[in-house]
Formats: sequence, structure tokens, C-alpha cells
Amino acid sequence: MKVAITIWGDRISPVFDAARRLLIVTIDQGHIINREEATFDPEQPSNLTKALIDQEVAVLICGAVSQTPAAVITASGIRLIPFITGKVERVLGAYAQGTSLAPAFIMPGCLGAVFETDSSSTH
Amino acid sequence: MPRPKPIPDNVTEIILESISDGVFTVDHDWRIMSFNRAAEEITGIRREEAIGRHCWEVFRANMCESDCALKRTMQEGSTLTNTTTYIVNSQKKRIPITVSTAPLKSKSGKILGGVETFRDYSLVEALRKRLDGRIQMGDIVSRNRVMHEMMAILPMVAESNSTVLLEGETGTGKELLARAIHNASPRKEKPFVAINCSALPDTLLESELFGYKSGAFTHATRDKPGYFEVTQGGTILLDEIGETSPAFQVKLLRVLETHAFTPLGSVRQVKSDVRVIAATNRRLADLVAEGKFRPDLFYRINVVRMVLPPLRNRKEDIPLLIEHFVERMNLLRAKAVTGVDPDVLRVLMCHDYPGNIRELENIIEHAFVLCSAGPIEIRHLPGGFGGQSPLPRDRTPPLAQTLNSTEAVAILNTLKDHGYNRLAAAKALGMHKSTLFRKIKKLGIHLPDIDGRSASGKQKTSQTTD
Repeated sequence: MKVAITIWGDRISPVFDAARRLLIVTIDQGHIINREEATFDPEQPSNLTKALIDQEVAVLICGAVSQTPAAVITASGIRLIPFITGKVERVLGAYAQGTSLAPAFIMPGCLGAVFETDSSSTH
Repeated sequence: MPRPKPIPDNVTEIILESISDGVFTVDHDWRIMSFNRAAEEITGIRREEAIGRHCWEVFRANMCESDCALKRTMQEGSTLTNTTTYIVNSQKKRIPITVSTAPLKSKSGKILGGVETFRDYSLVEALRKRLDGRIQMGDIVSRNRVMHEMMAILPMVAESNSTVLLEGETGTGKELLARAIHNASPRKEKPFVAINCSALPDTLLESELFGYKSGAFTHATRDKPGYFEVTQGGTILLDEIGETSPAFQVKLLRVLETHAFTPLGSVRQVKSDVRVIAATNRRLADLVAEGKFRPDLFYRINVVRMVLPPLRNRKEDIPLLIEHFVERMNLLRAKAVTGVDPDVLRVLMCHDYPGNIRELENIIEHAFVLCSAGPIEIRHLPGGFGGQSPLPRDRTPPLAQTLNSTEAVAILNTLKDHGYNRLAAAKALGMHKSTLFRKIKKLGIHLPDIDGRSASGKQKTSQTTD
């Protein structure tokens, strides 16, 4: 399974709407077996979803996100896991292992919002 | 004089809790050390959750990643005030804010951290919008509810790649809306082409859209690419789609379904990555019911349907549109028209505009011919609107009569502006003196018994004498 995550240095980018870089990893049997970085324009979320679908990315993990891009991403069929914070490797490691991202990696005050988005998305 | 009592230690805390600006402080590791009541309210995050966390996890501003004001402040040791930005709250809402930052320094001047003060700007923004009441997108301006709803979904419509059907009477701005969709879409860097389908016969329309190969027909001496080819990656507006023939409708349906087209005289299909926006001044569903439009094409086109209201149903937009046209024409014609006077506005608000916004634009354009500066007055309007119109208001004048009346008002006004000097008026109107005399006679314009030349001559004489 392929997972994309918006990155800012070694951390998850705090706001999707201002993010620029994306890490796409392939997870196989709880391990990350491939990784590649890309840049994207958050003002054009449909371009991003098209590229992610072409690459068979199923999940997008990001920080805070506003309604319009969130709606475009969700409508494309990609599972959006928003309001996640922390070091990229720790988050990906936890996700690959099937460990819940909540509450450890949820941004302050956003636990309810994440569960509202998709109760199954954080495992 | 008695000395004032010393200020209690907790006074700063009391002040911070009482103000309506959000305030938080951070240490060198960007961890939040304090978080006041207003900060809790604006961000929706409780102080217990915020303290100890990195500021970007709590604050979530679009500037955190690339242009952090606190970082600049702490690096430069200087204060930054009123930077405008937005934060994203847990409801996925963007909250506009203004931010000021300052370094926290010890008595010896050592920087201990930073303080950020932020103000929720959404109320000011909302009030500004309410006062102005307008939404502007591209060249579309409106304070009408239906238009607002349409423009609210426009970014989503633009973002999607779906075919759009625009319905609206002539002159309601279908092309402007199509252009706004294109400009807000990922295709904005690629071409936008508008084709009026009713203006061309079937075969010509086909060759214009799909192109042809040399030898496809007599005089086709070389290959010609069609709009679907030259607009690759862009958007095509097919206006008056309801007027196309059934044969053309079949071909268009195939293009939309296969994303490919075949130039005339070719046997090879060409891949097409063009977004189609269809527009009509009729209800396409009615044409389907009458058997004049293919239902399969209708359903293929009718993915997203947007109906533009006629101007008579959005009269609240008339002042805004007038202002918009006046601004634009001032720039285009290097004039200094300040707007319209209250009488003109009253007249223009009462009109029904069968020609919609285009008609209003033409009225303003007409007024610009006669008015160079100051407000547009009734005398600058076309004859049908002017107080000087010889026509009774309750009768719709035939076209020729309207044109004559407009011309008569234009000539009369120009003569007045030039003190009834015929030569000067003719020059201003861009016609020969003899043409002006002929028109004055033909249109039955009655002139007062003063002559511009003699009037100015007399004046000169009088000045000389004095």
C-alpha cells in the first residue's frame, strides 16, 4: 500500500494549505520498502489527487487542512488523515505497524475533528 | 503627595486575560509557555492542551512553515506588527488574523523567547464584505444571493474536470462565467476559446473545431488544426449549443465520451484533453422534450449546471455594475467620469434590461461618448432614457426611431457643450460641418437663436473694449 505524507523537514507540515513537499512511501507487511519525495501545489488539490491516484496512493496523511482541499481529496476516493503532527518517521512507523495515530500524533484540540473525518482512518 | 501602592505581581496576567487579542509566548525550542483566554477562544484550543506543545501545532498558520514572524523576530530581535495571515482551526475553517510579534528579553537584553499577539480578523472581514456586499471573481461582480451561491461553488466546479452547462438569457455573462471557471481551474495556463455554434453552418463548425486534412474537400490544400487541437489542455466554450444540428450533436457526444476526435478527411483519431463548457440562452431540457436536442448529449453535458439570473432579477447589482463599467471605461478611454448622478441611477434601476448586463454596459459606453468628466447625467444617456427624449415613455420605440433619437440627443448635447458653435460641435462629433447641418435638418433639431461664433466673437470684442 502506498501512503503520502506532507513533510516539512523531518516533521509533518503543520498546514496542508501551505505545504510544498510530499513523501510517498510503499508499506509492505508493516515495513516501508520504498520512498520518494515530490513537490506539489496545495492550491491545486485536484492536480495532487490525480497524481496520487496515478501512483496508486491510497492514503494521505497531513496536518491541518481547510475545507476545500479536504473535500477535493476525499471526493477523489483517497483516504485523508488530517490534523496529524510529529516526526515523519515516527508517524509512518506507527502507521505501518498498524498502531493508532490517535491520540499520540493528533494536533491539540483536533481529536474530535479527526474522528469526524474518518473514524477508521487512524486505525 | 502619597506614593502609589506597588502593582501586584499578577497584574500582567489579569491584563492578558482581559484583552480580546490572543497572546502566547514561546521559548527557544518553540514550545508554548503561556496562552491567554482570547488565544483559547480564537484557536479553539484549551490552554492545558496548548502549553508545552510546539507553536505550529497549535497556531497552524499558513506562514508557520515558510515565513514565521516569531522566528524573524527572535533572529533579528525586532518587533513585527500587523502581518495578515490565516490559521486553520479544527473545523477546517480558515480564520483570517493579524499577527504582531516581539522578542522576550531579560533585563540584560538576552533574548529569552518570543511573544505573539494575534487578532481575529474574521469579523472585520465579514463586516467589510457586508458593507461592500460584493463578491468579485474575474470580471463578475455581484451582491446577489443567487450569484453568491454560484460563486461559492465555482472553485469546486473549476477544480473538477467536469463538463459544465451554463444557462442564461443573452447578455447575462455566460462567457465571463466560463472564463472565470477556466481561470480558477488547473487549466488556467492553457488556452480558453469561445465558439458561437449558431454563427457557423454545420460543416464549417466541424472543421473549425476538429480541423481538416489536406484534400478533405475542394480548396483544402493543407492540414488545418481545429480548436480541439490548438486548445489541448485548455477549455472550449461552445456557446448556443442548443442551436446545433443533430448530426453535429452526435459527433460532439462521441468526442466527449472517447476524449478523441477525427479531423475531416482523416482516418486517425486524435486524443483530446480539452474541457468543454456548453452554454445556451434556452432551457436545454425543454429542447430535449421538444425533440430538438439529443437526450444522450444533454445528460453528458449536464454534469454541472449553472443558471445565470437575468439582470431584472438581480437589480441590486446595477449600482455595482455601473461602478465597475465606469472604472473600466475610465481606464480604457482615459476619462475622469466619477459615476452616475442620482437621476440616472433611478432611471437605470427602473429599466427591465431585455439585453441584460450587455445592455447596461452599452448604455454606459454610450454615456462615455458624451461625458468626459464628472457624473453621467440624464442628457448623456441614450434617447430612450433621457428626459429630452421626444418619445413617450410608455411606448417602445422602433429601432430606427431610437437610433435617430439617440443621435439627436448626442448632437444637441454636443452643441450645448460648445456654446452652439456648429464647427466646434462637428469637430467634437467627428463629422464634417456640412454633415452636421444636414443631420440637424433631417432630425428636426431646433436650435436657439444664438450662434457659437458670434457669441464668442462678441465676448472677445467686449473684453477688448474693456
